[in-house]
Amino acid sequence: MTPLLEARDLVRRYSMRRGMLGRPVEVRAVDGVTLRLEAGKTLGLVGESGCGKSTTGRMVLGLEAPDEGDVQFEGAPMPPPGSLPWRRQRARMQMVYQDPLGALDRRLTIGAQVAEPLQIHGLPADDARVHALLRQVGLRPDQAERYPHELSGGQRQRSVLARALATDPVLLVCDEPISALDVSIQAQVMNLLVDLQQQRGIALLFISHDLRAVRQMSHRVAVMYLGRIVEEGEPDAVLHEPAHPYAQALVSAIPDPSRRGNRIVLQGDPPNPAARPSGCAFHPRCPLAVPLCAQQAPALKPRPGDGRMVACHVAQGDVAPMRKAA
Amino acid sequence: MAGAALVEIRDLAVAFDGTPALRGVSLSIGKGESLGLVGESGCGKSVTWLAALGLLPRKARVTGSVQLAGQEILHAPPATLDRVRGGRVAMIFQDPASSLNPVHRIGRQITEALQLHRGLSGAAAREEARRLLEQVGMPDALRRLDAYPHELSGGQNQRVMIAIALAGQPELLVADEPTTALDVTIQAQILTLLAEIRRDTGMALVLISHDLGVIAETCERVCVMYAGRIVEETRTERLFAAPSHPYAQGLMAALPPIHGPRRPLAAIPGSVPEPWAMPPGCAFAPRCPRHVAACDAAPPPLVAVTPGHCAACIRPGAASARAPLSPELLPA
Repeated sequence: MTPLLEARDLVRRYSMRRGMLGRPVEVRAVDGVTLRLEAGKTLGLVGESGCGKSTTGRMVLGLEAPDEGDVQFEGAPMPPPGSLPWRRQRARMQMVYQDPLGALDRRLTIGAQVAEPLQIHGLPADDARVHALLRQVGLRPDQAERYPHELSGGQRQRSVLARALATDPVLLVCDEPISALDVSIQAQVMNLLVDLQQQRGIALLFISHDLRAVRQMSHRVAVMYLGRIVEEGEPDAVLHEPAHPYAQALVSAIPDPSRRGNRIVLQGDPPNPAARPSGCAFHPRCPLAVPLCAQQAPALKPRPGDGRMVACHVAQGDVAPMRKAA
Repeated sequence: MAGAALVEIRDLAVAFDGTPALRGVSLSIGKGESLGLVGESGCGKSVTWLAALGLLPRKARVTGSVQLAGQEILHAPPATLDRVRGGRVAMIFQDPASSLNPVHRIGRQITEALQLHRGLSGAAAREEARRLLEQVGMPDALRRLDAYPHELSGGQNQRVMIAIALAGQPELLVADEPTTALDVTIQAQILTLLAEIRRDTGMALVLISHDLGVIAETCERVCVMYAGRIVEETRTERLFAAPSHPYAQGLMAALPPIHGPRRPLAAIPGSVPEPWAMPPGCAFAPRCPRHVAACDAAPPPLVAVTPGHCAACIRPGAASARAPLSPELLPA
């Protein structure tokens, strides 16, 4: 079966100049990401800031062209940006951002904003359609007359969702959709996303740094570190028995009331994508790193034994781990 | 905390332009104790400490009493407050980059605090600043004294903020969402650092956070706040084992579990009431699964459910039928 979405070896480079006379430095924001998403399923993409998860989301939608690699949507390559087929395809894939207030136009009513994509794509944009969309995300039709500042954070994110659903998309890329919301509202929005997925068979690319939310939402999880996927698998497998040392540290950093202390605390800061370490990008912070890790970048491949996708020399059993003194 | 409370807050209330933001908060912190304040945005957890330390703008109307080791500091003269703030009580904030001065070197910002609160200057201050940076786990501390904030990462800037806070050798550190702007692996580093400092110096810690998990791992006692009031107060293990107030129960049920089956989350319906449209009785009543008519009569007082465990609810007790607790949050 053809997956809804397939991205192969995506690379995105930016060039950055340090100072006025500095040489331009190449920054690889995304460095060879391959992912596939089945129709009606959710792929969770986790990682820390700067790991390239949002850039990956933008490339998947065609908002940004990859420097290398390609994206296939329903088995066909992405049409060139700006072309008519591209515009038509954009209606079938939508994006939801972190900050609903930033994503909404403050001077337009919610109703007008939900109707806008319908008008752009030449669909009937009558009140009945707008009200049905609002009802679907748990808003009242009378709230169509409200302005964004008159709504609460959760209601705003619901409006953003209503607008994204207007063109009946089959793919929704959600970039940190709940991070700006309060805990009790996060649960409402996550439940809503799951309901919508079940009713309409939408596939979700759920980008988040919150492993709890990713587990709640996803059918598969991919962990990213500095532009690459380092581990991929079923959410419970990755969260309960992470194979990659970075995934292990991430999981152990989840604040958990039932555990006190004994977590893996990584040394150092997340690395700068402009100064990517040699070999495995994680090796300077890795508690298990061996000399090979600094020389050769590990490939993402199934681990012998259980077939977990992991990019680590040690987890793959190629070399014995070396424990640095704590 | 028996007897000698370090900080004793009584009936603290704050109003901005006549709109109440904090509606009567009482709490006390013992010497060396760690207290967590948890709640959603706008519940008053930060305002409590900004008001207590006299850091709110003039238009805020603050009433009540705040005593530091028996001495009243609310509305105290500036000279008294200058010795308290940054000296006996230090505070760090969510976004370290905006709390530091971008045009001064790190070293100068730390020595400024040392001069104000410990009277150190010159080489002695610089040496002490280096020691503080080492204490907060900054690699290459001597060279970093000459760095500007923009040359450091978010986690390192938060370490600098903690170093500045420690410069006055405070008896109490108030950390307002200290890890919210940081990545999870860096959050783990900062929480571990705060625990180490507390162990080494015997300093008391107030941790303000919206994240129950962060509070659970760091604090001995916790206050849950909702709409400008404390709705539940107890030892941290107790809150996770047997939360009593329906809001605290709802908060925990809304947290996606890490283990066990995945099912729809028990979200709290509705949203926090606006400060100018508070319900007459319990502020949580409109969202509460255990709501009865009596809830709307008057705001319920914070009373003991069991010794050392208080809840502001006229029907406290077991979790409601609507919001089952996830198994991991129940005691084994």
